[in-house]
Amino acid sequence: MVNENLVKDVVKEPYKYGFVTDIETEKIAKGLNEDIIRLISQKKEEPKYLLDFRLKAFKKWQKMDEPDWAGLGYKQIDYQDIIYYSAPKQKEKISSLDEVDPKLLETFDKLGIPLTEQKKLTNVAVDAVFDSVSIATTFREELAEHGVIFCSISEAVKNHSDLIEKYLGTVVPASDNYFAALNSAVFSDGSFVYIPKGVTCPMDLSSYFRINSGDSGQFERTLIIAEESSSVSYLEGCTAPMFDTNTLHAAVVELIALDDASIKYSTVQNWYAGDEEGVGGIFNFVTKRGKCLGKRSKISWSQVETGSAITWKYPSCLLLGEESVGEFYSVALTNNLQQADTGTKMIHIGPKTKSTIVSKGISAGNSINSYRGLVKMGTKAAGSRNYSQCDSMLIGDQASANTFPYIKSQQPNSEIEHEASTCRISEDQLFYLQSRGIEFEEAVSMMVSGFCRDVFNQLPMEFAAEADKLLALKLEGSVG
Amino acid sequence: MQTKMKESDPILEVENLFASTDNLPILKGVSLTVYPGEIHAIMGRNGCGKSTLSKIIAGHPSYNITNGDIKFSGENINSLEPEERSQSGIFLGFQYPIEIPGVSNLEFLRVSTNARRKFLNKEELDTFDFEELVKEKLELVKMDQAFLSRSVNQGFSGGEKKRNEILQMALLEPKIAILDETDSGLDIDALRIVASGIKKISNAQTGIILITHYQRLLDEIEPTYVHVMADGQIIKTGGSDLALELEKKGYEWTDNFVKET
Amino acid sequence: MEIIEKLKTNKLIDNQTEIQKICLHKLQSSPLPNPKSELWRLSNKSKFSNFLNYSVNEKNPKFDIPYPENSQGTIRLIIGENCQIKLIKENYSIQQLNESELNKYIKEQIACFDQNENWSDLLNLSLSSTKNLLGLKINGSKIPPIEIFSHASSNSLNAKTLVIFLEKNCDIELLQVNLGKENSSLSQSTFFLLEENSSVNHGVVSYGENRSNLLNSLNVIQQKNTEYNLGSLHFKFNYARFEISIKQSAGNAKTNIKGMQITKKDEQISTYTKIDFNGPNGFLDQINKSLADDKSHAIFEGSIIVPKIAQRTDASQLSRNLLLSNLAQIDTKPQLEIIADDVKCKHGATISQLNEEELFYMRTRGVTLQEASKLQLSSYFQEIISFIPISKDRWDLLDKLLNEN
Repeated sequence: MVNENLVKDVVKEPYKYGFVTDIETEKIAKGLNEDIIRLISQKKEEPKYLLDFRLKAFKKWQKMDEPDWAGLGYKQIDYQDIIYYSAPKQKEKISSLDEVDPKLLETFDKLGIPLTEQKKLTNVAVDAVFDSVSIATTFREELAEHGVIFCSISEAVKNHSDLIEKYLGTVVPASDNYFAALNSAVFSDGSFVYIPKGVTCPMDLSSYFRINSGDSGQFERTLIIAEESSSVSYLEGCTAPMFDTNTLHAAVVELIALDDASIKYSTVQNWYAGDEEGVGGIFNFVTKRGKCLGKRSKISWSQVETGSAITWKYPSCLLLGEESVGEFYSVALTNNLQQADTGTKMIHIGPKTKSTIVSKGISAGNSINSYRGLVKMGTKAAGSRNYSQCDSMLIGDQASANTFPYIKSQQPNSEIEHEASTCRISEDQLFYLQSRGIEFEEAVSMMVSGFCRDVFNQLPMEFAAEADKLLALKLEGSVG
Repeated sequence: MQTKMKESDPILEVENLFASTDNLPILKGVSLTVYPGEIHAIMGRNGCGKSTLSKIIAGHPSYNITNGDIKFSGENINSLEPEERSQSGIFLGFQYPIEIPGVSNLEFLRVSTNARRKFLNKEELDTFDFEELVKEKLELVKMDQAFLSRSVNQGFSGGEKKRNEILQMALLEPKIAILDETDSGLDIDALRIVASGIKKISNAQTGIILITHYQRLLDEIEPTYVHVMADGQIIKTGGSDLALELEKKGYEWTDNFVKET
Repeated sequence: MEIIEKLKTNKLIDNQTEIQKICLHKLQSSPLPNPKSELWRLSNKSKFSNFLNYSVNEKNPKFDIPYPENSQGTIRLIIGENCQIKLIKENYSIQQLNESELNKYIKEQIACFDQNENWSDLLNLSLSSTKNLLGLKINGSKIPPIEIFSHASSNSLNAKTLVIFLEKNCDIELLQVNLGKENSSLSQSTFFLLEENSSVNHGVVSYGENRSNLLNSLNVIQQKNTEYNLGSLHFKFNYARFEISIKQSAGNAKTNIKGMQITKKDEQISTYTKIDFNGPNGFLDQINKSLADDKSHAIFEGSIIVPKIAQRTDASQLSRNLLLSNLAQIDTKPQLEIIADDVKCKHGATISQLNEEELFYMRTRGVTLQEASKLQLSSYFQEIISFIPISKDRWDLLDKLLNEN
C-alpha cells in the first residue's frame, strides 16, 4: 500500500499565488440594490443602454432562485455582504504603463505575467484584470495594425459602443440563469476582442484575472467576436489570494463566430481552492457560451480546472451555422473538499454540425467531481454528429466521481455517441513504473498526465506545459 | 477507343459520368462500355475515384450523379434503387464487406438469392432447396458450411469475407460483376481460390470489372481491357500489357498522362 | 391536488386495508410526483393525467390468453383471478405468504420509500385491494417455470401487486406479462426478494392495445451470491413507465438486464432504472434499447450508484437507441455516481438510425430496403427477446413485434 503520510505531506504544498497585494483601493459600499448598479454604471461612465441592460438584469435576478440542481453543498451566499466594485486607486487617466502603480506591475510580475515593455511575454498579448478593473493591455498597437481590437470591456463600451450594443447579451441573455443575471447587473470589467473579416490574429490573446480583495466579488464579462474567415486563440488565467472567507466569482463569457471563423478559448483556472479543511476558496459560478452563427464556424473550449472551492461551469456551444463545429476538452482536478460540477452543452441546431466532447475528471481527497453535459440534436440538425468521452479517475476511497450526461435527439439523421469510464491508478501500474526506477511521485504524475493527454494536446503550447506542472503540483502525494 | 464492331449489345454503358459526395466532386467525366464476355480492369492510385465509380454503379445513396448516365442493358438506371440494380443483375463485390451482427448468413443469402430469382421469374427456393444450392456453390470458393450459421461477415477473416462475396456472386449469377479490390488482403492461396471462383462463374454472357491496385490478380484473370484512372477520370486505356507496363513503371509513369490531358 | 381529487372520486373501496390507508395518506401529503424531479420532468403531463381518468374496477373481466398454456407443467397465475396457490411437492414448494408476513414486508418497504422514486408504488398500494395482492414464498429445487399475468380491462383502472420471496438456494424462471386493454390503466408493482444463493431469470413483457396506460414498478433486493437476470419488453402503450430499482443489499451479487421499449404513433414509454450497490464485488451488465417511430417519445434514465462500501464493483450500462422518424424523439441519460475508488464502471449511449452501410450492403444483394430494415430490426430485437425466459419456446414475440412494425 502506498504511504498515507507521503500523501498528506505533499497536499500541504502551499498555494503559491496566495499572497495579497497591499494597495489602496477604492471600494463602494457592500450590498446590492438599484443605486449600487447605477453607481457602478456611473463610475464607468456608461451609456444609457448599458445601464438599462444592467437594471433589467437586476430585476430578473431578483425574481430568480439560486439553482440547486447540481447538488453542491455550500453555505448560503449573502449577496448583500459582497462589495460589487473594487478598484486599485490610480490616476484618473493613464496614458502609459509607466503611470501604473508599480505595486500592481510587481503583482503581475510575481504571478508570472510581466506587463512592462522590457519584460512582457513576446508571443502573447495580455489584458491584466485586477479585482474590478483592467490594469493594462499589452501589444495594443501591434494588434491594431491588423485591425484586431483587444482591450478591456469598459474601454470597448467607450470606443466601440456599436459592437457592444449589437452583441452584448446575445449569447448569454441576462435571464439565462441566476449567476448570469447577477453578472449582467453588476459586471465590472473583462476583456473585449474583435477580429475583423479575414484576419488571423497574429498572436495569442490572453486575459489574466486576479482577485485581490477578500470581500469583493469578481464579475467580469468577456466578449469575443470573430468576423467572417477570421481566427483567434484566446487564453485565460486566474488566481486569488488565500482568505479564510469565500469569494464569489460569477463571470460571463460570450463568443460569436461568423462564417468560417474560428475561436479557440483556453482556460487554466487556478483560483484559491480553500485549505484542506475546506475553509476559504473561490466560488466559481461561471457561464461561458459560444454561438457558431456562421457556416463552417468553429468554437473550441479547452479548460484545465484545478482551483476554486466550488466550480459550476458548463462552457457550451450553440451550433447554428451549417457545418459548424463545437469542441470541449476538459481536465478537472479536485482534491481535499473541492467540489467541481462542470461539463458542456452542445446544442445542434443547424444541419451537418459536429461536436466533440472529451472530459477527464480526477478526484482525490474528499472531493466531488461531476461531469454534467447535454447533447441535443434539434429537428433541423440533419447529418449532425456528436462524440463524447468522459473518463474519471478516482484517487483514494473518499473521493467521488459522477457522470450525468443528458442526451436528447429529435433528428433521426444524426448520430450521438457517448462513452464514459471510471478507473483508478492501480497498484500494479505504480509498481511496474517504480520497478523501472521511477519515483513514486513521478509515477503518479506520469499516469495522471497520460490520462489527460487527449486534452493537453488541445492546449496552446505554453499552457500545456503549465497545466502539466500544475496538475503534478496539485496531486503530489494525494495517492493513498 | 473501343472501335471494333461488337456482335451483341453492351451490358453496361457509363457515359461522361460526373458525381459528388457532400458537394465534393469525385468523378469528373468517366466513360466506360462493357460488352458480354469482356473483363475490364480499372487501376489507379488510392483516391482516384475507382471505388466511388463502383459504388455509384451499385447505387450508393451517399453519392449524387451531377451529370452523365449509367445504362444497363440499354436502360438508364440512374434513378434505380440499389436492390433493383442487384435484382436486375448488377453485382458489387465490396472492398470491405460489411459485418451485420445478428443477421444469419444463410438467411441473408437465401433472401437475396430469392430476390434475384423472383426478378428472373424463377421459382423461389425454400430453406431445404436453398441449402442444396449453397452447398454446391460453397465448393467454388472452398468454404466450410459452418460459415452459413454465423452472422453476415461477423468475425470473418479478411480472406473469408472476400470468399463470402464470391459465394454471393455465384448465387446471384449477375450479368455484370464489379469486384472492388477483391484481391486486397488475400494471401496467394486465397487469391487463387477467389480467382478460380470468378472464372468459373463468368461466361460469354457476363461482364466483369476488376478494380485493383496490383498486377497479381490480373496474372490469374487476364483482362480484355485495362483502364488507368486518376483524379476522377479514365486517363488511359489499353490491353492487358498496359497493366504489366504499369507494374514495371509505377504510377508516377501515369502522372504524365494527367499532364497531357 | 388534481390527482388526489381524481383518486377520491375514484370510489375508493370502503373498507380500506391498513396499507391502503398509509399509502393514501402519504400520497395526500405529497399528491403529485414532483414535475421538477428528474424522474418526472419528461413525463407527458396530459398523458399521465389520462392514467387516472378511469375508475377503479374491482371486477376482473375475462382474461384473454396471449398464447396457449403449455402442458409441460408451467405454473400459471393470474393476479386477481386465481391467486390461490399452495403447491407442496417433494422437492419444492410454492405457497402464498400469509397476511401478516405480507403486511410486515410491505410496511417495511413503504418505510424506505422516497416520494418521487416510489410514487408509482404508493399509488399502486393505495389502490390495490387484498384480492389483487399476490404474495408468494418459493423454495426448493427443480421448480417449474412460473407465469404471472396482470391485466387491466377497458375503461378501468386496475392495480395489481406482486410480492415474491425467493428462499435460499432457489433457481426459478419467472415470466410476468402485463396486458392493457383498450382505454385502460394498469398499475403493477412488484417486490422481489432474492435470498442468498438464489437466482432468477425474470421476464417482463408488457403491451397494450389502443390507448392503454401502464405504471410498472419493479423493486428487487438481492442478497449475497444471488444472480438476477431481467429481460423486459414494453410496447404499444399510450403512456407507460417502467421503473426498476435493484439493490444489491450486501454486494457480491450479479445483475444482468436487457430491456427494450418500442414507441409508435404518439406513444410515450420510459424506463427508469436505479441500481444500488450496497456492498463489495457487485456486478452489473445492463443494456437498454429504445426504438422511436412516428411522433412518439422514448425515454431512458439509468443511474448506477456505487458508494464507498462497494469496492470492486464492475458495472456497465449501455443505452442504444434508434430514432426512425423526424417527429419522434429520444431522451437518454445514463448516470454514474461513484465514491469507491477500486471499481470498473462504464456507460455508453448512442442514438442513431438503422446503419446505412449495412442497409446498402444488403440492398446490393437485392434485398429491398423494407426487408433489409426488417432484418436489421430483428437482430436489434433478438438480443433482448432471447433473454426473456419461458416465452421464447412458445410465444413468437419477435414475429409479433415485426408484424406490429
